[in-house]
Amino acid sequence: MTMYFNSVADLLAMDGHGVYVWSAVAITLIVMAWVLVAPLISRRQLLRDVARDIQRESQRQSAGSTSKTKNEEKP
Amino acid sequence: MNWQWFHRLGSPRWFYQTTERWLPWLYLAALTILSVGLTWGLAFAPEDAKQGNSFRIIYIHVPASFLALAGYYIMASAGAIGLIWKMKLSYMVMKAAAPIGAALTFVALVTGAIWGKPTWGAYWVWDARITSMLILLFLYLGVIALQYAYQSVDAASKAGAILALVGTVNIPIIYKSVDWWYTLHQPATIKLTSAPSMHPDMFQPLLVMILGFYIFYALALIVGTRSEILRRERKTGWVRELAAAEVRS
Repeated sequence: MTMYFNSVADLLAMDGHGVYVWSAVAITLIVMAWVLVAPLISRRQLLRDVARDIQRESQRQSAGSTSKTKNEEKP
Repeated sequence: MNWQWFHRLGSPRWFYQTTERWLPWLYLAALTILSVGLTWGLAFAPEDAKQGNSFRIIYIHVPASFLALAGYYIMASAGAIGLIWKMKLSYMVMKAAAPIGAALTFVALVTGAIWGKPTWGAYWVWDARITSMLILLFLYLGVIALQYAYQSVDAASKAGAILALVGTVNIPIIYKSVDWWYTLHQPATIKLTSAPSMHPDMFQPLLVMILGFYIFYALALIVGTRSEILRRERKTGWVRELAAAEVRS
């Protein structure tokens, strides 16, 4: 099997149609990449938010328990 | 009959954990098949006698259009399953399918417009096929918009599912538009009932690209659904464990 075009320059030019074909290919690849990347970004953001919430909750709990022990020591 | 698989399928957690193992293979398959098909179609296939090299846009235009239409059926079916069996996972699939379908419809319209310039002399024509595809894009955008229009997730899912189901009336119109209104868009190249109107040297890479787009679609739908599962289950123990593990690593 051989390439239809004689050179890479010919492949890029496509007898004047290159600008149409390659721009269509570029737009398609960008959109397809975005379709996969967008949910991955939101997934990472969400997991970070959940982790931050867990940390805050545990901090609040530990702060609450220390104040309790202080109160108990007072009298 | 054993219905256990059906109940398991309804469990978002089960879906999330099972698809984890499929992902690397799907990425690999999509990347390989799309690279082979694109290289074959763009560099090795012979040029079209009438349209010259601009016809090579077919290798992305037709697969994207195929999946834009097939994806609509998938989205509407997922919505119907959600309405009938109240399956939450099904609504999540529906929500994930909407932006993918919109993106592929956009690709079909844009590549079609770019192809139209050297072939018809115009980027945009109010041809029946093109207009009905534009309506498809608006239907997808409508389903996306409805997901954010309600406070209640359940109400948003139901409204989205109903719009998706009503919109299915557009799909046969799109398929038949090239036969009913014979204006500018060429009739289907591939038909199940007859041999393709294309030389095998041009047709084989197109089949490879269609297969590649199907695998890409499956991959994108799984990735999108997984992200949506985490969003809706973020209060549950298993997602909290996952988040804690992710941050630690």
